[in-house]
Amino acid sequence: MIPVLEAVGIRKSFGGVRALRGVSFEVCAGEVHALVGENGAGKSTLIKIFAGALQPDEGEIRLEGTPIEHLTPAKSKSLGIAVIYQQPALFPDLTVSENIALAHEPPTAFRRIDWRKRNEHAATLLSRVGADMLPQAYVSSLSMPEQQLVEIAKAVDAEARLVIMDEPTASLGDRDAENLFRIVDELRKSGAAVIYISHRFEELFALADRVTVLRDGESMGTFPMAEMTNRDLVRLMVGREMEAVFPERNCTIGEPVLEVRHLSCVSRGVHDVSFVLRRGEVLGLAGLVGSGRTQFAETLFGLSRADGGSIAVGGKAVRIESPQQALALGLAYVPEDRRRHGVIMDFPVSMNTTLASLERVSRGGFLDFTAEQRVAEEYRERFRVKAPSVDTPVRNLSGGNQQKVSLARWLMTEPRVLILDEPTQGIDIGAKHEIYMLIGELAARGIGIILISSELAEVLGMSDRIAVMHAGRLAGVLDRNHADAHMVMELALGHAAVSD
Amino acid sequence: MNRATKRQEFILALLIAVEIALFSTIGKNFFSAANFFECVRLAVEIGLISLAMTPVILTGGIDLSVGSMMGLAAVVFGGLWQVAGFPLAAAAVCALIVGLLGGGINALLIARLKVSPLIVTLGTYSLFRGIAEGITGGARSYSNLPASFLYLGQGYIAGVVPTQMLVLAAAIVFYWLLVHRSVIGRAFYAIGLSPHGARYAAIPVTRRLTLVYLLSGLASSIAALIYVAHIGQAKSDAGTGYELIAITAVVLGGTSIFGGSGTIRGTLLGLAAIVILEDGLHLAALPAELAGISTGVLLVLTIALERLASRQRAAVAENQEFEMKNSQLAILCSTVIVGALIVAGSNWYLVKNLRSGTSGDTTAAKEGQGRLTVAMMPKSKGDPYFISCRAGAEEAAKEFNVNLIWDGPTQVDPAKQNEFVEGWITRHVDAIAVSVGNAASISTVLRKARSQGIKVVTWDADAAPDARDYFINQATPQGIGGTLADEAAKILHGKGEFAIITGALSAANQNLWIQYIKERVASKYPEMKLAILRPCDDDRDKAFSETQTILKVYPKVKVIIGISAPGVPGSAEAVKQSGRQDVKVIGLSLPNLCKPYVHEGVVQAVVLWKTRDLAYLTVKAAAALARGELHSGATSFQAGRLGDVKIEGTDIILGSPFVFTRENIDQFNF
Amino acid sequence: MRKLLQREFAGFITLALFLIYLAFAAPSFYSLGNLRDIALANVSVLLISTGMTLVIVVAEIDISVGSLFAICGVCGGLLARGGLPIWMLPFAGIAIGSALGAANGGLVSFVKAPSIVVTLATMVAWREALNWATGGAWVENLPANFQWFGLGQAAGEAVLFSATAVLFLAILWASHNLPAFRSIYATGSDAEAARLAGINTKLVVFAAFVLVGALTGLASVLNAVRFSDVPANAGIGLELQSIAAVVVGGTPITGGRGRLMGTLIGVALLGIIGPALTYLQLSPYWEKAIQGGIILVTVLFDALASRAEKRPALA
Repeated sequence: MIPVLEAVGIRKSFGGVRALRGVSFEVCAGEVHALVGENGAGKSTLIKIFAGALQPDEGEIRLEGTPIEHLTPAKSKSLGIAVIYQQPALFPDLTVSENIALAHEPPTAFRRIDWRKRNEHAATLLSRVGADMLPQAYVSSLSMPEQQLVEIAKAVDAEARLVIMDEPTASLGDRDAENLFRIVDELRKSGAAVIYISHRFEELFALADRVTVLRDGESMGTFPMAEMTNRDLVRLMVGREMEAVFPERNCTIGEPVLEVRHLSCVSRGVHDVSFVLRRGEVLGLAGLVGSGRTQFAETLFGLSRADGGSIAVGGKAVRIESPQQALALGLAYVPEDRRRHGVIMDFPVSMNTTLASLERVSRGGFLDFTAEQRVAEEYRERFRVKAPSVDTPVRNLSGGNQQKVSLARWLMTEPRVLILDEPTQGIDIGAKHEIYMLIGELAARGIGIILISSELAEVLGMSDRIAVMHAGRLAGVLDRNHADAHMVMELALGHAAVSD
Repeated sequence: MNRATKRQEFILALLIAVEIALFSTIGKNFFSAANFFECVRLAVEIGLISLAMTPVILTGGIDLSVGSMMGLAAVVFGGLWQVAGFPLAAAAVCALIVGLLGGGINALLIARLKVSPLIVTLGTYSLFRGIAEGITGGARSYSNLPASFLYLGQGYIAGVVPTQMLVLAAAIVFYWLLVHRSVIGRAFYAIGLSPHGARYAAIPVTRRLTLVYLLSGLASSIAALIYVAHIGQAKSDAGTGYELIAITAVVLGGTSIFGGSGTIRGTLLGLAAIVILEDGLHLAALPAELAGISTGVLLVLTIALERLASRQRAAVAENQEFEMKNSQLAILCSTVIVGALIVAGSNWYLVKNLRSGTSGDTTAAKEGQGRLTVAMMPKSKGDPYFISCRAGAEEAAKEFNVNLIWDGPTQVDPAKQNEFVEGWITRHVDAIAVSVGNAASISTVLRKARSQGIKVVTWDADAAPDARDYFINQATPQGIGGTLADEAAKILHGKGEFAIITGALSAANQNLWIQYIKERVASKYPEMKLAILRPCDDDRDKAFSETQTILKVYPKVKVIIGISAPGVPGSAEAVKQSGRQDVKVIGLSLPNLCKPYVHEGVVQAVVLWKTRDLAYLTVKAAAALARGELHSGATSFQAGRLGDVKIEGTDIILGSPFVFTRENIDQFNF
Repeated sequence: MRKLLQREFAGFITLALFLIYLAFAAPSFYSLGNLRDIALANVSVLLISTGMTLVIVVAEIDISVGSLFAICGVCGGLLARGGLPIWMLPFAGIAIGSALGAANGGLVSFVKAPSIVVTLATMVAWREALNWATGGAWVENLPANFQWFGLGQAAGEAVLFSATAVLFLAILWASHNLPAFRSIYATGSDAEAARLAGINTKLVVFAAFVLVGALTGLASVLNAVRFSDVPANAGIGLELQSIAAVVVGGTPITGGRGRLMGTLIGVALLGIIGPALTYLQLSPYWEKAIQGGIILVTVLFDALASRAEKRPALA
């Protein structure tokens, strides 16, 4: 059987970073082919190449045997490839019906639109994918899961022969996820090929026929799903036993440095979160994407206004209503979205490093440039940031080094509590390790650390305790000695609540 | 970052040096200390606003309301002092508070409520100017300020440095420290590059944005005070158009309109480039419009080249941003060089022609060889009345072998009139003739001209009597007012309602004529009543709509007297379109503009004088003065083809007003 | 439907309140003649604001329309004087306006220069070039059939009204029903997504500027023929008037959503202030302040409302 899509020897580099080093991949009609790998293993790059959004440096792509050159988004769409990204690429100001129509209508500029037909068509599609919104609803009024469903509707509408789904259940609840599985099954039965990327192995075991594992830009092989176990997959993904990566946790844990009681921020979906963080402790915060961890962290840090609950820092009750206040109290937050929030891309390393601690490199409100350079150099060396100089714009650094700069900035503030939100996302393994060691050092120095992470291995390996969030609430807190991936995942899925 | 920025500014400075060099050769007295300081004086108000605009644009915002705030602060200052009797200092402080309040409105909406700066400042642009106009009725201006205050805007320190330069210098230092050396300035750049990123870095974004807009309002009010001191008048139209010049200076200087990059030095250099360009063109006697055109072109070129250059950068290089800027400026530089060479070349060509005796352009730059230069300025170049005068001026210039420079603002603009006169003083022309837009503001600079030996006459509209040697008046104001009243009475048969549509409520000569109309009506036609008086800003369309409304709101009005050349045809058209056969229009206007309406019977009479003759007489008188042929105390003088012309005191009278009617109007073509 | 009206709400309510107040305070305002005069004076503003709405929808701005207006009027007059058949004048206006609009569009779309700076530069350069070329002189001695296209006042006014109404309704219809116009909304909403969906976003942005140029050129000619000569310095302040009308009408400055009906309300609201002041026997010099106040109140109201409802704001 000729595969619907076949890729041979795909190579792609960005700047100096090699994202894909000769990956070969194929998927057949009527197949659900899972694609797994760590963050940064190359999955996103590969599917962007299939979607025509990126051009490979080397390699060949064949669609049902015919080689394709110079794929563009429009071309891939016309060839019957549909992609559903993690972030819905919808027009917020247009209606659902129009979004669906724009996805597949050929652009005939001056033919009158038949809205009735469009709306009917959209309604049919929506019910087929199990969505219950009106076609005339504006996309900006829809929730993330609803938007995701619209994206799926678009793909179904396109009657694509290849549907690529990138973490489709990341923000879906149980019911919606079940719905999605049904759709995937339908697609498979109708003869389409499906590439399915997910971190949730149980989904893959249920849905996929075959699985390909990527690691550091290379394919580790393609296997029938039925013959694989969790452990097999993880070993292929990670390439080593998990525990060895993480530093030993054996430092003393002191008095409470942060006490959070019934913290809520309704507008952001955070409800009644309570816990205590101690000096020198690493508290992992696990949960599925969309479980409210970032929202909670941002509420804690003053980026969102809390509307219930109390916070005490170092034993003293406080109100945190702005990041400035949080900073003054000794909190630091390294955000998840590194490019937009973690660093200022066009500032050099030096200016990024000092941005939250300008008072330390200034006198009477006036900047001391020499001091700034000196401090920036110190931190650059300490964190081993790979950059030509501290004057290099951060935009030119690799993801890992950018993250180091972001960390350096917050560590310069000498915080008591450090909140890390997905600190190793999209970073190569070497840099990850450095960051793990650093976290260990910081804990040893008595800083209380909240580590938000979606990588189970990381959470389990680094934390003293693991808090798990589900749908904006704290589902449970586990001690490291009594926790395993299974328990964490159960809590994250909202199944059983295990108390500390 | 520092190395490349320095290189960028070096190139911009080089560009300015080139401008200076070129204008020095083609413009008279361009390269002199006096001119330099005059340039600075002109630039202070704009400079203050441009400096304040820089951090606004750095943070990714924009402030369109700065010019309007100048108007509001000016009238608040003037009004509190003159009407409410506040001491000057208190009035000034109140003006500054108004500036802060205005900035505060902007800050509230932009920084706290996160509304788009473009829209908010568009609203306040209208609001501030509107409040200023509303308070003063568009017309009332406050002058006769004490010399101690005027010293701020017109005085010199050590005889050579304009006083307001100190204010500008202080502002430069303040802003430079704020933007480039302070912690707050660092925040500006961060916010401009990434407002979200700045927030996550615990920068108090709302507070910083509030600060830039407050400062912007404050700077505008300070600029307003200096402006008032400079031209000696506080009026609601202060600062019109300044916001766009400021934005141009900032963007030309290399600041990105999206925020996040730019320098104070760049803004100053951009400002310098614009000011020098304008001043140089004045002194080279080239049309002022060239300044606007070339600035617009330069702006487009620099932006376009920046964009094109950035697209060619494929690789991520360390100095990416700054290479872009270098090429941008290199081309900016060469464009201006080429442009200036063209200007210089054409000038040289013209001068060559002049020397060889061909008539060519009477506005050539060279003086000397016994030929007098008379600089003549209408109230507005764009008014058909003045356009018709020009022919007469040029006729006289040719006949009496005089270099005529005919220039002025396109729209009535007293501040701009001052600038022109300043330029002419620097050029050291032999005589200046001005049709005065506002007597209070121009008199100071006219006195300065006289003190430097330049002969000064006014024509059509007068300045303060001690500021000029003679006033060439087309007719006595009594004559003009009386004739208009008489013509109106003819139509009304001595009783009924009439309306007056004047040019501008602040025009002194028009107000004088209106006064004499009223006097004549009161004494000779007591049963006639003035129902309403409205201005039309010398705008045809405005006269049209005002008349339309008057016809409806005051249905008993049967005669409309129009005292504005563009206004009369506008009123006539309105009367015609309304179908009201019982209403007639008379006024002061040009025959050509009114001919169709006169023939249709809508306009009964056009009162005027031979505009050509007025200008002819003016040039002749100015030349005679400069040559020493006309002395004070003379009661008449020989004015070429006009014969002997009467002099009353210091007024040279052209004659009596002429009435154009259906019978005679076709004989005239102007 | 209610959601659609929400944004126009502020402008609509203000207009309604103002009109009701006028009915009591100055009932003579509602004479047919006065309403006709006001409508006639705002015909050109409506056309330009319609084009401006689409430019703002595509997330750009054009502040050069005033200068464009002046140039097209003068050119129209010169062409008429030079012998161009009168019925061709509107097309000449459209052609010249489109060409100038294309200059703006080319710089914004293909060179990717920011529209605020480009149109600032063209606004100044074109106005000054016009001043230089005309020397401030009006275009006089026009052929007799220039005014009202030679049709006489009543017929001429009818032509102006119907042309404007037809164009406005046509664009209103097209903006909802023609994919070419819908792509303006798509591009304004999310340019990247539009590109991925196969829309030629560069062409769309370019076309928006050409369109506003064409409409401005037409508006200029239609305004010019109300009189018998053409002044050299028309259209001052027109750009701000039209942008204000669009904003007051409820179109977000961020693009993606356009309220053409709202623009109509905005034009009406801002257009009646001047005459209303005279009817109310108030000083006409408060007009600008009131216009500014309406703009600010509109965006303030919307900003507060969107905060409360947690939806994205107008501006």
